Amino acid sequence: MSPAPPNALAMAPTPLALRRIHPALRTGRTLAPRQAPADSSRASRVRPLDELLAGGLEPGGLIEIVGRRSSGRFSILLQTLVAFTRRGETTALVDLGDGLDPRAAADAGIDLSRLLWARPEHLKSALIATELLLNAGFPLVALDLGSPPVPGGRGPEASWIRLARTARQRQGILLVSSPYRASGTTAQVVVESSKTGARWQGTGRAPRLLSAVCTRLQLVKALGRAPVASLPFTWRSRAPGR
Amino acid sequence: MSHRIACLRVPLFPLAARLRSEPELAGEALVLLAGNGSAARVSAASRRARRAGIRRGMSLAQARALLPKVAVRGRDAACESAAQQSLLEIAEIFSPRVENAGRGVVYLDLAGLERHWPRDHELGSALIQAAERARMAARAGIAGSKLAAHIAAEQADSPTVVPAGEEAGFLAPLPLTRLLAEAHVLDRLARWGIRSIGQFAELPKDEIASRFGEAGQGLHRQARGIDPHPLVPHRPAATFDEGMTLEWPLTTLEPFLFVARAALDRMCERMARHGLACLRLETSLRLEPEGTHERSVVLPAPTRDVKTLLTLVKLDVEAHPPGAAVAGFTLRGHPDRPRAAQLTLFGPTALSPDRLATTLARLFSLLGPERAGAPRRGTDHRPEDFRLEPFAPPPPPDVREPEPEGYGLLAVRTLRPPIPLEVLVDPRPRRVATPVTEATRGRPRIDGTVRVASGPWALEEGWWNERPVDREYWDVELSDGGIYRIYRDRRSESWFADGMYD
Repeated sequence: MSPAPPNALAMAPTPLALRRIHPALRTGRTLAPRQAPADSSRASRVRPLDELLAGGLEPGGLIEIVGRRSSGRFSILLQTLVAFTRRGETTALVDLGDGLDPRAAADAGIDLSRLLWARPEHLKSALIATELLLNAGFPLVALDLGSPPVPGGRGPEASWIRLARTARQRQGILLVSSPYRASGTTAQVVVESSKTGARWQGTGRAPRLLSAVCTRLQLVKALGRAPVASLPFTWRSRAPGR
Repeated sequence: MSHRIACLRVPLFPLAARLRSEPELAGEALVLLAGNGSAARVSAASRRARRAGIRRGMSLAQARALLPKVAVRGRDAACESAAQQSLLEIAEIFSPRVENAGRGVVYLDLAGLERHWPRDHELGSALIQAAERARMAARAGIAGSKLAAHIAAEQADSPTVVPAGEEAGFLAPLPLTRLLAEAHVLDRLARWGIRSIGQFAELPKDEIASRFGEAGQGLHRQARGIDPHPLVPHRPAATFDEGMTLEWPLTTLEPFLFVARAALDRMCERMARHGLACLRLETSLRLEPEGTHERSVVLPAPTRDVKTLLTLVKLDVEAHPPGAAVAGFTLRGHPDRPRAAQLTLFGPTALSPDRLATTLARLFSLLGPERAGAPRRGTDHRPEDFRLEPFAPPPPPDVREPEPEGYGLLAVRTLRPPIPLEVLVDPRPRRVATPVTEATRGRPRIDGTVRVASGPWALEEGWWNERPVDREYWDVELSDGGIYRIYRDRRSESWFADGMYD
């Protein structure tokens, strides 16, 4: 019997490693650990989101941010637009909720000259406009469905499948902000944002100021990746100089 | 080197122009009629119709007797005008000096083209091929004068090149009718025994001048292969027109779109030949029995995408129907240079300007021009105020710029228009509810007890104009979990929500 090589024990799969590999084999997923996107410029500048997405928004995917009122999902959208426009990318916002305030967006840091703002009135035209923009080669298309009731409900499943396929073919990023899961099974990544609290400055009879909204981001779905623990994030409010 | 002229000529031009507009008729037995009613006569017939015995000058009944299934069309000025323009544009590809001789004939000044086209025959072949690509069967002739070039372009084995200095010999055997049409002059020359151009050219120049004046002197120069007048350059048209008279009046949109698509195809092909794209599209519909319906569509950026242009025409006609049957149409494209952009190797990816223009046009047709564009700050301080400008993104930086340090700034989702509220005040807002009215139908419902209220902050402006704003703002966190920006309109004592922290 030949002697075992000195690193044989290190090479042998441990039961823990086998347990990790086994479900991956069953689901047909790759065994290679998922790498962060090589292009670090895809970062959204929302730190917990980038951590959850292993480095940033991956091109060619449909990423859905779900959240109830005041959960910070519109802030995520705008912050991502800030990051992309500041890097010189041309972006588009399909704003079904008609919620963009250009003044506030400019103050937040969005380069408005690189943002195409489409304001559809119905979900159907919003989905068509989104597909048009992805096909035009926009590297980031943000679709905001606004607050409920969304005019048009969830829309047909086939439309979401088309959008996901177009994003994949064009290697564009489709970032969907929705009050509920609208894209069904087609989203590559679903992140749920929830409000955990609000911070107000001042007590008693003194005038109070909204200083921050605390949220928690949780990776609900990620193809080829196990959901990880949620991460907190605090959105700071501007001084109330309107 | 001697002066050279090329002639590009389309035989049976009215027929060729019609076939250019209706290519599906190619190979069919087709006759074109000139005149109205029973006085209409065949002015041109396709080869298949001619094989059946149909000749120019026959009545429709005579033509139908020979070939019952012959397709019949009237002469169409719009088709012929567009075909002539297209022929001129083809010639302009080869030479900067082009003369419009009308009815399917153009002359090209070949001075200075020797380096590009050292052999005249190759140039002639290239002209013919370019015309064929534009769906017109043309012939070409090259000579030292317009008359010689025109007659050379009538020869069967096209292109025909008349060698330099041999123009007089080429014209000599031709009858005098090819030179002039005035019957009294022809009679006079015939009495002298002059019947060919060559015989006329041999007459003494001074004698011709004394007997026929300046006009005769010019004809004599033409007979000797010399142009009496220089080539008259054609000024390129500022617009690209395509249109046709329809076989029968149309009352529905779909058949119109079918023929309009073919016209737009031809128009965009012509624009592409010049490196231009359509910035404004005018539609002129000739109505039955009389009248016209004019519409104009302005595009956000120049485009040559036929699908986009057709969609815009469709939406415009749907929105503004002509109100009567359409007997003919003209589409007029106002061209502009397409947007150009220098792409970068190391910076962010730039969008293709052409594709962006097409996308914007389709977006406009989908949403309307007032619902897409580049957002801009409004003119006053109302949060719901904004402006939209045409979207023309600057070129991306050559290299990726380092990102500025970011911070998570809470955004406000604007509720546009503001949602009417019922607010219980004591003296701060205590409870907020959305009334069930027509104004709040389909809008987010805001309902709950106020946990925290912050305010008030005043917003007062516009007191000097007709839209005064006098508001008292509050930030409120409700029991439903939402944080809203609400205000009391101090002029109407009404409450509204105009934003939600999200």
